[in-house]
Amino acid sequence: MDHREFLIKLINKGQEKMEDVEAFLVKQKQLEIEIYKGDIDKYSVAESGGLSLRGSSNGKMGYSYTEKIEDDSIDMLIDDALENSKYIEGSSDEVIFSGSESYEDINYYNESLNQVPTQDKINFVINLEKEAYALDDRVFAVNTCVYQEFEGERYIVNSKGIDLYDKSNGGVTYISVVVKEGEDTKTGFSYRMFSDFGSLNYKDIAKEAVDSATSMLGAKNIKSDNYPIIFENTTFASLLAAFTPVFSADNVQKGLSLLKGKIGEEIASPILSIVDDPFLKDGFASRNFDDEGTASTFNKIIDNGKLENLAYNWKTANKEGVSSTGHASRSYKGSISTSPTNLYVLNGDMEINELMSMADNGLYINDLAGLHSGLNSVSGDFSLSASGYEIVDGEKKRPVNQITIAGNLYELFKDIVAIGDDLKFGLPSAGYIGSPSILIKSLSVSGE
Amino acid sequence: MLDKKVIEDVLYAALSRGGDFAEIFLEDKYNANMRMVGGILENNISGKDYGVGIRILDKYNSIYAYTNDSSKENLIKVAKEAAQALNQGQVDVRLNLMKSNTTNYNPIKTFPSSISKKEKVDLLRRGYEAAKNYDDVISQVTVGYLEEEQNVLIANTDGLLVQDSRVRTRYSVQSVATKGNEMQVGYNAPGASMGYEFYDTIDVKDIANEASRIAKVAVNADHCPSGLMPVIIDNEFGGVLFHEACGHALEAEFVSKDTSAFANKLGQVVASPVVTAIDDGTMPNGWGTSNVDDEGTPTQRNVLIENGVLKSYLVDKLNGRRMNTSSTGSGRRQSYKFAPTSRMNNTYIDAGDSALDEMISNTEYGLYAKKLGGGSVDPATGDFNFAVMEGYIVKDGKILKPVRGATLIGNGVKVLELIDMVGNNLELGQGMCGASSGSIPTNVGQPSIRVKSLTVGGRKGDE
Repeated sequence: MDHREFLIKLINKGQEKMEDVEAFLVKQKQLEIEIYKGDIDKYSVAESGGLSLRGSSNGKMGYSYTEKIEDDSIDMLIDDALENSKYIEGSSDEVIFSGSESYEDINYYNESLNQVPTQDKINFVINLEKEAYALDDRVFAVNTCVYQEFEGERYIVNSKGIDLYDKSNGGVTYISVVVKEGEDTKTGFSYRMFSDFGSLNYKDIAKEAVDSATSMLGAKNIKSDNYPIIFENTTFASLLAAFTPVFSADNVQKGLSLLKGKIGEEIASPILSIVDDPFLKDGFASRNFDDEGTASTFNKIIDNGKLENLAYNWKTANKEGVSSTGHASRSYKGSISTSPTNLYVLNGDMEINELMSMADNGLYINDLAGLHSGLNSVSGDFSLSASGYEIVDGEKKRPVNQITIAGNLYELFKDIVAIGDDLKFGLPSAGYIGSPSILIKSLSVSGE
Repeated sequence: MLDKKVIEDVLYAALSRGGDFAEIFLEDKYNANMRMVGGILENNISGKDYGVGIRILDKYNSIYAYTNDSSKENLIKVAKEAAQALNQGQVDVRLNLMKSNTTNYNPIKTFPSSISKKEKVDLLRRGYEAAKNYDDVISQVTVGYLEEEQNVLIANTDGLLVQDSRVRTRYSVQSVATKGNEMQVGYNAPGASMGYEFYDTIDVKDIANEASRIAKVAVNADHCPSGLMPVIIDNEFGGVLFHEACGHALEAEFVSKDTSAFANKLGQVVASPVVTAIDDGTMPNGWGTSNVDDEGTPTQRNVLIENGVLKSYLVDKLNGRRMNTSSTGSGRRQSYKFAPTSRMNNTYIDAGDSALDEMISNTEYGLYAKKLGGGSVDPATGDFNFAVMEGYIVKDGKILKPVRGATLIGNGVKVLELIDMVGNNLELGQGMCGASSGSIPTNVGQPSIRVKSLTVGGRKGDE
């Protein structure tokens, strides 16, 4: 089926009953290979997609969606969106966008990924598992060893003249290992995001996972106290990712973020700068336009400690009489919201051992658990299960686990003492978030 | 939903290059969501999830494919593409699909889709007003409404053909309390495998008041102290402790590969003798109940731990093969986009005979965790964490004062041995559980329990 033609038909028909109408369609392809003890344990191929319709009637926006993309669904989509619009209140701020003046034309689709024979991908992930077992006798099991590729297509067509399409792809491979020494069991994990299969080296990935597990053997907790804390790059990135809702204009407007009225104010240490760069090369959230068809723009979020901007879509921008920053995001099952693209903390100039010297005696944290439950993006409070190493006299020493670290995001921003030069990105979720390693003056640690 | 002949042809195609089992899972699901923020209905979305998952098993290996296009030609094409992962010959199977009947554990009186949207908006507004008017400190209230009707058809080369309909209803309230620069959140979200008659069993005003009460307690609370101490965990959603600390590690996905802290321990003492734990997929109208699991196996009541002794794991078909044991009706998945694996349904620690008052009066110094938030676990090590949404310091056998921002951490194997009192007030709470086969509705539950010693992560030293 020609999707674009289908969407145009849907829009034309929708306009008979509604004022402005927009169709948003995504198509996804996925390949997943999981290995267990040298064999393909799971092999999964998928093609799927979904279509969202939004349309306004009497200035109110209604939504409907379907995964059954066929002619029979058209009437239901239109009738449901119209019916749903009737009950919407006070939302005249949400209007369908007529398009930006110009768009970047950067390609985020790597043809070469499809040209690699499947057998090479299978061999790669078999080797990854084999290597992990071979590296250390204490490797008891490789409990996950996965190769995954994804490809996404996006169509936005509306009655105001937008007719956009893009395509992107990428892959991720990850491994989780279990090591045992006597009764002591620890797990380790590593991953790579890639768009070029040739960039993958299974030996490095396996070693990283095994090292991260074996280095935790013998870990114990530590006395409850306040300690200087170094967050390893991707660990700080995962903490920042969990807090990105605070930068959403929607949350600020609804009183669900403490950043209300803070634009232009100093909210962080003057050494902290955070940017959102939708054009980042090899960024897995890169795009030329957002999910409302607005051209992407580079944004400074925090500039030398000062809050510069929030993430807006058109609904939240219209509420304040400003322009969208190109951060509209949506799943076809939901309404328009906002999310970051490639958001990251700018590198500082300290090497990791300089950070440790500065910390002197403290903790080096390289894993946080409970990020979906142990933090509150409304208050900024967090208390998280953590593990890592003790820092003694500026050097990384024994492993530490079964501790929690607790604090508040806004206090933490101000307590940033030094920033490393090792920017790295975490696994993408809502946005692709990165950070260098960061030294915090002090956080409350609960252990023994 | 699909013609029997089509199903048979697709299953034959799935086994065209080998394999010893093929399965088709068709899902047709209607969802409607509404969200009211600050008294204004902001979101009102409805739509249809629709697709087919095809699975081929070859001993321990599994191949999975899914598509939205359920035409016969496409399904056969997808089945044949999936079969490309194997390179043996056509398996000689003769199918005689027999439609099985199921016991209906979730009778529905009023299908939510038969109720007008206006009535649902009014329902949201009643909750909003109750939550907002609870107290002056309540600065923002978000109320959510969810209804879903999931119809599934499952057929496989063992001759199974079964259909199931799952209707679920949920209402959620999030209240924010503000005091100066402090903002705290309270949340309450009951749900059931019921139709609109769910609202005859609950009063949305009570739900709303409870969310606002929790937010108000938190905004007036001091930071929680840190350290090891006895912790009393109250009933209902407190059951997330067992869910995270032990439930996940009892799933065959981990046990079959020896990567669970509870592997090879059937028949052994794994918990204090006061602990009996059950997973019951048949609980009438339970949030995590279905008539058959997502592999078509009838759900059942599984005693996991009885008086401290490990009795059963949670087993799906594939992992059951590795363990040489049959399914316990625990094969679940979020949707056709996921291959099923072993998961929990309605899981709880069974009632004991202590009273909550008795636990508090027997505690010299510790934490009373009245409401828990979510948590997570590493099933290989058993290390878990979860958040305390409402907590109080207990001193000299009495509740001293509210505290906020605590996280509880520990190890699942150890914590089961540290439970020294189990209450008589069993209640269940509703949650969404995320794992490799997606996000699924599960009940957690327990009576009040006391754990002798647990690490409490707060922001203050002992006091």
